Amino acid sequence: MDEDAVAGLDATPARTPGPLRLGRHVFPPEATLVMAIVNRTPDSFYLPGLTWDSGAAIERVHVVVAGGADILDIGGVPAKPGPEVTVAEEIRRVVPFIEAIRAAHPDLVISADTWRHETARAMCAAGADLINDTWSGWDPQLADVAAEFGAGIVCSHAGTLTPRTRPHRPAFDDVVADVLGRVLQLAERALKAGVDADRIVIDPAHDFGKNTWHSLEITRRLGALTATGWPVLVSASRKDFVGETLGVPVDDRLAGTLAVTAVGAWLGARIFRAHDVPETRQALDMVASIRGERPPARALRALA
Amino acid sequence: MITAVALCPAPPLLARELTGQAEILPDLRDACTVAVARLVAAAPDVIVVVGPGDLTATWDPAGQLDLTAFAPALARLPTPDALRGAITRARAAAPAGERLTLPLALGIGARLLDKAGYDGPRALWSIAGSAAAAECVRLGQDLAAPAERVALLVMGDGSARRSVSAPGYLDERAEPFDTEVERAVREGDMPALAALDPALAHELMVSGRPAWQVLAAALGDAGLGNTGLGNTGLGVSADDAPRVEILYSGAPFGVAYLVAALSA
Repeated sequence: MDEDAVAGLDATPARTPGPLRLGRHVFPPEATLVMAIVNRTPDSFYLPGLTWDSGAAIERVHVVVAGGADILDIGGVPAKPGPEVTVAEEIRRVVPFIEAIRAAHPDLVISADTWRHETARAMCAAGADLINDTWSGWDPQLADVAAEFGAGIVCSHAGTLTPRTRPHRPAFDDVVADVLGRVLQLAERALKAGVDADRIVIDPAHDFGKNTWHSLEITRRLGALTATGWPVLVSASRKDFVGETLGVPVDDRLAGTLAVTAVGAWLGARIFRAHDVPETRQALDMVASIRGERPPARALRALA
Repeated sequence: MITAVALCPAPPLLARELTGQAEILPDLRDACTVAVARLVAAAPDVIVVVGPGDLTATWDPAGQLDLTAFAPALARLPTPDALRGAITRARAAAPAGERLTLPLALGIGARLLDKAGYDGPRALWSIAGSAAAAECVRLGQDLAAPAERVALLVMGDGSARRSVSAPGYLDERAEPFDTEVERAVREGDMPALAALDPALAHELMVSGRPAWQVLAAALGDAGLGNTGLGNTGLGVSADDAPRVEILYSGAPFGVAYLVAALSA
């Protein structure tokens, strides 16, 4: 790892990378996991409304599981600003869906993409194993809910944003140091709340409270996050920083997303939140084989 | 005495280096260039840049915008030598407590002066984003008080809530607010700028409000003119009314940008 990748680490407690426990599963440090996005929303930024219909949503679950998803990330409110979604409406969108998934896939890891503890509690009660708090601890009671249900929690960095707002001219002395400071603070908070250390994940949260340059920087220096020993989640799928970097609309961002995925995996990230599940799984398998941790599926060339 | 005024917005994208391979809003950048050229052409004794910041303070005239706060990669990517030199000098020369790394609005303003080739005396003032009208009046009067010929470069943006894709999402009150600001500038209606509601401006994410109220106070007291005669304020009579050019007005990305040049 290059020197400035670890800048800002001086004060952080080192943690030996250990198993990641999600639901009934125990994932070793070298495993890379695909977290499939299934939104119960009519207005998310990519393929809006794809899984708004409950029949389409459960069908999508079967497809992504067959495609290699290890985790399902279920959300009922888009990140972008828009019409208010009340807690009651959010619960109505996601809880019956989680119950249906549980019935069909008893062992599948389910992640609750929400920033509100009332929703998180209902989702955990219905069977969610992980709370994906993209809005960086805006609701401090989320960690209490995770502890109460023995669930995991994602500790993210969103700058100074409140939920469902857009970043406006964020500037950092050192964006990676800012990210490290925040996610480690949230991890400490989760530990104190009683969350199992093996169920805490950190996420620099690309695009959240960041411009494109910042998201590129946290990608380049992701090694500073993985060096903390906490499992790192990368959520970059088809996001604006990919679009701006390549000059392509949301439909044309898969190649850029997979490049971020490969670099993240190379630098030691363990969970990849994705719209394109089989493609992401392939990219991760390829990186694992390059690293020497996964034999090729079939090596015959020049061997016969 | 205020002899000339330019109003410019201060989005980071005005710094060409921050927009990557793409030229974004070249017409906005051109309008700012014209507005600042007018200031320089007025041959002032000093150009004072006023813009919103976290606090009301004066800054080192050699101060620069730290582009790496917005784009860390610029510390490594090929950068024009002049700019790299400026950044390095500013950093090396900055003892603790010196105000060499400018807030965004002043940094963009300083860059506009640099780009115009202006190397005369300059002063940089931030006005707190939360400043009440009285604080803006005090600063405005102080800036206009000296006998020397002062040109004002007033930095700040209109609402960042002009569309659903805006940084602050859509607020229906934003467009009327920005339209009123533009009208006041166009007609030299300084009392209207002085009367802008700080609370509403804050809700609408209007960064320019305190700087515009500094301008209103500066002109309200000293007028605008080369001679010091006829200091009756803006727009009082047709004879004294300054020439106002609106060089750009729009909100292409949901944030309102206004570029104007006022001369006697």
